[in-house]
Amino acid sequence: MAHILLVEDSPEVSLSVREILSAAGHTVDEAATGKQGLERLKASKFDAIVSDIWMPEMDGISFLKEVRGAGNKIPIVVISGGAPNAPLSYTAPLASTFGANVVLYKPFEKEELLGALKSVL
Amino acid sequence: MTSDGLHTDLSGADLAHVRGLIESIPASAVVIDKSDLVAFANRKALGLLSQPLQTVLGQPLAGVFGAFLRRVRTKGGPIEQIQFEMFYGTAWYVLQIFHLLTPDGSEPTEYVVITATDISARKRREFDFLEIAAGLEEATRIAQMGTFKIVWGPGQFEWSPHMYTLHGVSPDSYRPGFGSYSSLVHPDDRDYVTRRGEELARGEASANVEYRIVRPDGVVRWVRLDGRVLFDSDGASYASFGTCQDITESKRREEELRELLKRNAILYEALESSPNGVAVLTAESDGLAVLYVNVAFERLTQHNSFSLNAAGLRSLIPESEVESWGRIAQSIDQSVGGDFEAICLRRDASSFPARIEIAPVRDHPAQAASAFVVNLRDLTVEKQRAEIFLKSQKMEALGQLSGGVAHEINNLLQPVIALSDLGVNVLQNDPQKARQYFDVIGNSGRKAREVVRQVLTFARRDTPQLSSLNIVPLVVDSVDFAIKGLPPQIRVESKIEIEHAMALISATQVSQVVLNLLRNSSDAMNGVGHIDVALQRYVVESDAVIGDLAVGSWIKLIVQDHGCGIDSVTLSRVFEPFFTTKPVGRGTGLGLSVVYSIVGGWGGVIKLESEVDKGTSAVIYIPEQT
Repeated sequence: MAHILLVEDSPEVSLSVREILSAAGHTVDEAATGKQGLERLKASKFDAIVSDIWMPEMDGISFLKEVRGAGNKIPIVVISGGAPNAPLSYTAPLASTFGANVVLYKPFEKEELLGALKSVL
Repeated sequence: MTSDGLHTDLSGADLAHVRGLIESIPASAVVIDKSDLVAFANRKALGLLSQPLQTVLGQPLAGVFGAFLRRVRTKGGPIEQIQFEMFYGTAWYVLQIFHLLTPDGSEPTEYVVITATDISARKRREFDFLEIAAGLEEATRIAQMGTFKIVWGPGQFEWSPHMYTLHGVSPDSYRPGFGSYSSLVHPDDRDYVTRRGEELARGEASANVEYRIVRPDGVVRWVRLDGRVLFDSDGASYASFGTCQDITESKRREEELRELLKRNAILYEALESSPNGVAVLTAESDGLAVLYVNVAFERLTQHNSFSLNAAGLRSLIPESEVESWGRIAQSIDQSVGGDFEAICLRRDASSFPARIEIAPVRDHPAQAASAFVVNLRDLTVEKQRAEIFLKSQKMEALGQLSGGVAHEINNLLQPVIALSDLGVNVLQNDPQKARQYFDVIGNSGRKAREVVRQVLTFARRDTPQLSSLNIVPLVVDSVDFAIKGLPPQIRVESKIEIEHAMALISATQVSQVVLNLLRNSSDAMNGVGHIDVALQRYVVESDAVIGDLAVGSWIKLIVQDHGCGIDSVTLSRVFEPFFTTKPVGRGTGLGLSVVYSIVGGWGGVIKLESEVDKGTSAVIYIPEQT
């Protein structure tokens, strides 16, 4: 089972994703912004990252850039519901470009998330 | 003594020769002996005396000759080569007296010859000139003119006193002459003046010369010199006279006029090349007359000033443009400027949207306008552009709205789908967890409903039925309801200071306003902190208290957070639809614009005060029904 960093600003989404992952036997550490996510990454070792795109302080794209820019090859699953000024059709390819291994569109089924994680772990 | 009076000491041949000589003198000539008696007279002299030779011979001299001789004798002394002019009878004569010499010229005989020439014509000219000169002197004195006379032969200059004043020189130190005058002429004009002076000297033309002089003190003045040529009896020019006048002032006015004309020409060209239509209308007793239209105006309207005058202004701006004609009437009646947009007609009856600016032209600030300048700008392209821009803005806004809504709904659907799935599994074993799941699912559903409601409110823009309601319990309930949708770490402290306040509102709208404000506050604090809500009564007793609040009783709702605050640039835009600072947060960008539009619909006012890092307070004033 894996230790997973969950970066998500919406408390409801964070809760539901955490519940999916822990029910599947993973351990989860939560961060509400990209910045918090980077701090957690420094503090402990993770097997994978599940990250939102549209977040306060540091958005998911910047977070991806920081992680990949530091040479970290950790598997990343991006979960996105789009953005006020950019539709999913725009944010998803952007996330892939900046190093997301898998991009999932919200709302997704728990099997989709677990399947995605399985494919990258 | 011979029969013809001459003494016989001359031989016969000599005598005949002397007679011939005297006869050939072009003047009237008489010969007298030493007793002053006439010894001979030529035919001209006999004509002058109107007597035959026989009558005058041996007689004392008569007529002009007698008068002349008497004067000569009275003066005494030698009588050789005496000449003078005298008036006798009705004519002027020049008279000369000289000795008759022996034929070989060796010695004088006892005879003296007197000649007389009529010079009346020349004298008359001289008198005329003197008369003119006297008149001229008087005239020049009045006209501040200087007069001069130049006798060309000896180069003799005569200047009137004013000539000296005019040239800034003193008669004591300055002697007029060719050289000295040249030094008074402006260096640039010297060649010209010299050339014209030479023409005058040759008597070729009368000179009328304008040039500059430089006075010894350095002052430059313009002068005009009018010269006339004087001719002697032989028709040769011997002198010039004339006037000299200071024309600096008239030169300056001339220059100003030239400058003015040049400026007018430039202004005219500028008007002609203006891309806007320009017309000048003059106020006549029977209305406005078109004085001028520029090329652009003609191109825009297909009218020129004649066709426009013939057809009247109503052919350009139709009667149906009631508002425009109201503005035109106001401009004319009150002599004030005005600008408005109107649909204008071309001569071919096609129309175009235009912006018309009327400005009054006054001769004097206190007078009514004597004319009006009309500026006509074709708005066709501008309108098209604005329409395209508006459309593209709408599309952009729509894209932003749908993106925002999608993001909100997707995020809210995620827990609904995931937790309902997981909930089924934990229902039996962990009922507490199942309850938590259901709470989150329910809250997500309610938030989604709110998002949809906001979009609909904004999209429909319809005004819900307002009714007279007590706002206090509505605010209290709305706050309670809103808290349920806020993150658990948000604490709301309410201070409701009134119990009853009636206002023309809608219950749903009150809840929307409270919800939006609280959610904004919560977002500003990143979901952690406390929000103060206050409801008070605010009475405005005089206009001076708050500029845009009318006198009366207001219900004041305050929602204050202690979050990140808003900078002044952002603050000026927060009420714009779809404006959002939340690339970092949630939100459709509609929250505050919804609040703004609702409060406006109540006749209320919303004010935002914010300080970066201190927090933001939204204050809403709602008119109280009393």
